[in-house]
Amino acid sequence: MDYSWAPLMGSLVLGLSIASIWLVAALGLTIIYGTAGVINMAHGEFIMLGAYAAYCAQAYLGTPFLLCLPISFVVVALIGLFFERVLIRYLYHRPLDTLLATWGVSLMLTQGVRMIFGSSPKYVQVPEFLSGNVSLGIMNMSSLRILIVLMTVVLIVGIWYLFYRTYFGIKIRAVTQNREMAASFGVNSERIYMCTFALGAGLAGVAGCLFSALAIVLPTMGSNYVVESFLVVVTGGGPLVGSIAASAMMGEFKSFFSYFFNSTFAQFLLFVLIVIVLRFRPNGLFANTAVRR
Amino acid sequence: MNGNIYHDKRAQWVVYIVFFVSLGLIPVMQADPFLLNQLAVFGIYGLLAMSISLCWGTGGILNLGQGIAFGMGAYGMAMTMQMQSQDPEFSPLPSFMSTNGLEQLPWFWEPFWSTGGGIFLALAVPTIFSLIFGALMFQARVSGPFFAIMSLAMLSAFYILVLDMQPYTNGANGISPRMPLEVAGYSLDPYSPAAYWLIFGLLFSLTVLAKLLNQSKFGQIVRALREDPERVRFLGYNVALYETLIYAISAFIAAVAGCCFTILIQYVSPDQFDVVFSITMVIWAAVGGRLSLIGAIIGAFLIQGSESYLGDQFLNSWHLILGFFFVIIVRFLPNGLAGLLEMLLAKRSRSSTEESPPHGRAKSPAAANAEKAGV
Repeated sequence: MDYSWAPLMGSLVLGLSIASIWLVAALGLTIIYGTAGVINMAHGEFIMLGAYAAYCAQAYLGTPFLLCLPISFVVVALIGLFFERVLIRYLYHRPLDTLLATWGVSLMLTQGVRMIFGSSPKYVQVPEFLSGNVSLGIMNMSSLRILIVLMTVVLIVGIWYLFYRTYFGIKIRAVTQNREMAASFGVNSERIYMCTFALGAGLAGVAGCLFSALAIVLPTMGSNYVVESFLVVVTGGGPLVGSIAASAMMGEFKSFFSYFFNSTFAQFLLFVLIVIVLRFRPNGLFANTAVRR
Repeated sequence: MNGNIYHDKRAQWVVYIVFFVSLGLIPVMQADPFLLNQLAVFGIYGLLAMSISLCWGTGGILNLGQGIAFGMGAYGMAMTMQMQSQDPEFSPLPSFMSTNGLEQLPWFWEPFWSTGGGIFLALAVPTIFSLIFGALMFQARVSGPFFAIMSLAMLSAFYILVLDMQPYTNGANGISPRMPLEVAGYSLDPYSPAAYWLIFGLLFSLTVLAKLLNQSKFGQIVRALREDPERVRFLGYNVALYETLIYAISAFIAAVAGCCFTILIQYVSPDQFDVVFSITMVIWAAVGGRLSLIGAIIGAFLIQGSESYLGDQFLNSWHLILGFFFVIIVRFLPNGLAGLLEMLLAKRSRSSTEESPPHGRAKSPAAANAEKAGV
């Protein structure tokens, strides 16, 4: 064996970065699926809208990059709210149909954005302190990737606080566990679903804003993230801790496989591995046994 | 006559006869080779929509990865046709392989020297893959949206794999065999009526077989497990086996469609594994009516037809229109246009039997639902 340890450690750190990107992309999806059981195929397009919101804020208002994050959140949350009100709320009891309807929404969003902004790529400027590299001892990592890791941690703590330490969170968890019972205790489940969907969409917007700096902004960029996000949620099984564990494992495995093979074949191996894992844990790693729908 | 004529078996067969006879007569009236070729391609889309209808409509298994079987079939046929134009002695290697640095034909290309063996593999490999993948998933009781996501993930895995294996598949450029398919010394010109009739014959026979399958006991069990898999399991049926079989049958039909696609287009690329294309197949079936085989075929004709013929005016906004239309269908007409027809006919038969309501309305909606055999 001729492999030295330093590059392997480096690839593990890189895996952490991949994991944080997938996790931040999947956070919104986790919340929406975990609470309402909605498979939101338009999630990738919400990410794309977040990126375009950041682009617009920067190009037309001159907003600095870090301020674009809350702007993306609000804009995409409102768009999510709109679709929840006009479409999704009629389909909560038909999970397969939400999947299809949101796919229709994603087609419309992609094409709508293409008609408004054109197919040419857009770029989002990042401040100077984010465009460099940071030395981590064994390897250099772009500071943007470190920002994404930090943002992921911040968002997870925020979501954890919201779900487990606030009154609103108690209501969300009550509706998740048993909608009828929660309703009979006076929780307005429809409003909870609505807020959760908007929150999930907003989180996709934040992810989109972060990715706008990482890669170019295109109307089709959503499709780069949607399959991985879904795999994170499906492998994790729904709860937040499941998504965290799943994305960490997927990111590390991807990076580990890429170390031995090329990156596309690593992706293929990863997908096959997930199929095998699901064979033995069909409801995901952390299936929420308390959920009854 | 009481009851809905939509569920009348004789009426359904009459619709079949009218539909297929009119499709079969097209080459007699229309000799433009390019139009015939395009209509034949529509026939392939019809096959794909029908296969989705079988899997999703009858079995309730939403498969977003039908492109796996379709793409495998298409690549298998492309490899067969490519090897037909190679000479075993002087140029055993397709040119893209030598430009990618291969010196020997890869082992899995060898069987494609034989046309029969190649076509057999093009159909068998996707079917066996679906049997394995289906068995893995369904035995673990992965179902509903989870299965849809897994099939989607599998599809995108294949997409990147085909794209990545440049020396073996020519990557993004795809394989474009120089000559049309030659079977038993006869060269099948993709623009000839013969090619049209081949596709038409396959569409006709496979649809009729699928309908007979729907009406058989097997079809009844599969429909039952669509409604309530737990209850079917308690009745002692092996649910996973039935799900795997209907999934594999549907994959086989998609593989046939893939083979025909390469015959007609003489080109195959990773686009056949594209996620959007696979979901478009689901849109065809959803719009036409997933519970109805012929409805799904008509859905494919309608959508692809309007894309080709209205496409010029709405080129920019086509996906916007398609997405909007699809959302409306899912929201208001979950059973598609065939479901709409069923509703209208039910209304008519109800008004004609209004004089004797207890008799005419004897069937509860649930009973009528259980009887639904799919046109």
